Amino acid sequence: MIRLPRGVRPALLLLVLASSTAEAQSRPLVVGSSATYPPFAYETPAKEIVGFDVDIIKAIAQKTGLTLKIVNTPFTGVFASLNNGDLDLIISGVTINDRRKQSYDFTAPYFEARQLIAVHKDSTVKSLQNLAGKKVAVVTGSTGDDVASRAFGKTSANIRRFDTTPLIIAELAGYGVDAAIGDNGVIAYRVAEQKDLKTVTDPTFPQEYFGIVVKQGNAALRTILNTGLAAIQADGTYARIYKKWFQAEPPVLPRQ
Amino acid sequence: MEPVLWFGWFRADIIAEYSELFWRGLAMTVGVTIVCILQGSLLGLLVGMARLADARHAPARQLCRFLVRWPATIYVSFFRGTPLFVQILLMHFAVLPLLINPVDGLLIAGDTAREIKQDYGALVSGVLALTLNAGAYISEIFRAGIQSIDRGQTEAARSLGLSYRQTMYHVVLPQAFRRMLPPLGNNAIALLKDSSLVSAVGLAELAYAARTVAGAYSRYWEPYLTIAVMYWTLTLGLAYMVRRLEHRYGRGDTR
Repeated sequence: MIRLPRGVRPALLLLVLASSTAEAQSRPLVVGSSATYPPFAYETPAKEIVGFDVDIIKAIAQKTGLTLKIVNTPFTGVFASLNNGDLDLIISGVTINDRRKQSYDFTAPYFEARQLIAVHKDSTVKSLQNLAGKKVAVVTGSTGDDVASRAFGKTSANIRRFDTTPLIIAELAGYGVDAAIGDNGVIAYRVAEQKDLKTVTDPTFPQEYFGIVVKQGNAALRTILNTGLAAIQADGTYARIYKKWFQAEPPVLPRQ
Repeated sequence: MEPVLWFGWFRADIIAEYSELFWRGLAMTVGVTIVCILQGSLLGLLVGMARLADARHAPARQLCRFLVRWPATIYVSFFRGTPLFVQILLMHFAVLPLLINPVDGLLIAGDTAREIKQDYGALVSGVLALTLNAGAYISEIFRAGIQSIDRGQTEAARSLGLSYRQTMYHVVLPQAFRRMLPPLGNNAIALLKDSSLVSAVGLAELAYAARTVAGAYSRYWEPYLTIAVMYWTLTLGLAYMVRRLEHRYGRGDTR
């Protein structure tokens, strides 16, 4: 095999893939995103869908020559829409986990997710353990719900479940609970809006990643997206988008 | 836990795993319904009477109109004219934090407020919203029931020398109550089912239990079918009780 200089092979692959998809793609790819999840995806008053997820997928599309159509799809119906062919891919803060991997294919991670605890400024809570015996708000069925259920018992009356992240923050702000647990990106964003709240991290929380979802077996699209993702990470586009939305340096993401 | 399949598709084990939540939820649903029916009926009676309030002479007549009838009418109009779900969210996330708040609660502040909010916050706002909503509907039942009794009955009672209060108590209300029973029963059943909406503010009743299981397992048949059967059993029981009451108080009408 001919040894090519580093960096040339991905670039070549990109070129080949881009040219092949440009021919094959007769219609824009339909991207599903639930636009109620700032800063990942949300609607502006002008009905435009913006956010970290949207910027990422647009950057990937630009690199790989794909054309996109972003459709606001409620999260509860997003996987069904992918299965019946209404959507070609999902980028909507979807956590990669084994249960989902059985039914869908994921790209490489594009975001490192961690659970974050939100508490009042005067709270002495330092970790998940400190929350034992206290009231905790979580979003039903979320990773935060998992974490709290494992720590305090799934039928514990101290766990208060709500439908969305804004509601758990509202419940915390109104002193209905002592803490709220949710995904770092969204919790940090919401807490920044509330002046008497702060966030606490617990190193024991499982490390998770968000991935772009494609239909099971759609290896062609998955490869293109992975190549594009690697390309925007290599040329600094990813870091720029990350800083724009999270005001921090991006963490190093695993390639798979 | 090993999956337990009933009839080849019903994962009974996930219900068993969360059974505590379902039993506590059942108790909460029944408790909330009973409290709200009682409070709602009392409120409904008062508001229903307020909407009929009138006086014969000048200052009292205007007072009745602007300070009694109008507020009652606006109250009924608001609570019948807006979705119960909206009322519950408004109560829990907007009104209650204003009234009960550790920092600057208008009604209760300080550590007591924190305790109430944490231990009974969802219960208080849920019961309040349901009671106010039920009260509005029940007031209309009372008003219609009282107005449905022929004026001649009141006129006859008054000309026999009974006071207004005596007329109401001995002549009008007993007859009106018979006519009000079927719609009141309807209302009680509706209230039992509507209590499921309170799960949105985190009150651990039946619908909350189902939502929790559905969220954890992404399975919908098992939890929602389970609570559907539980709600159905409860409404059947309630309907039976109403039928017995109707039979008992309806004796005078059937010959």
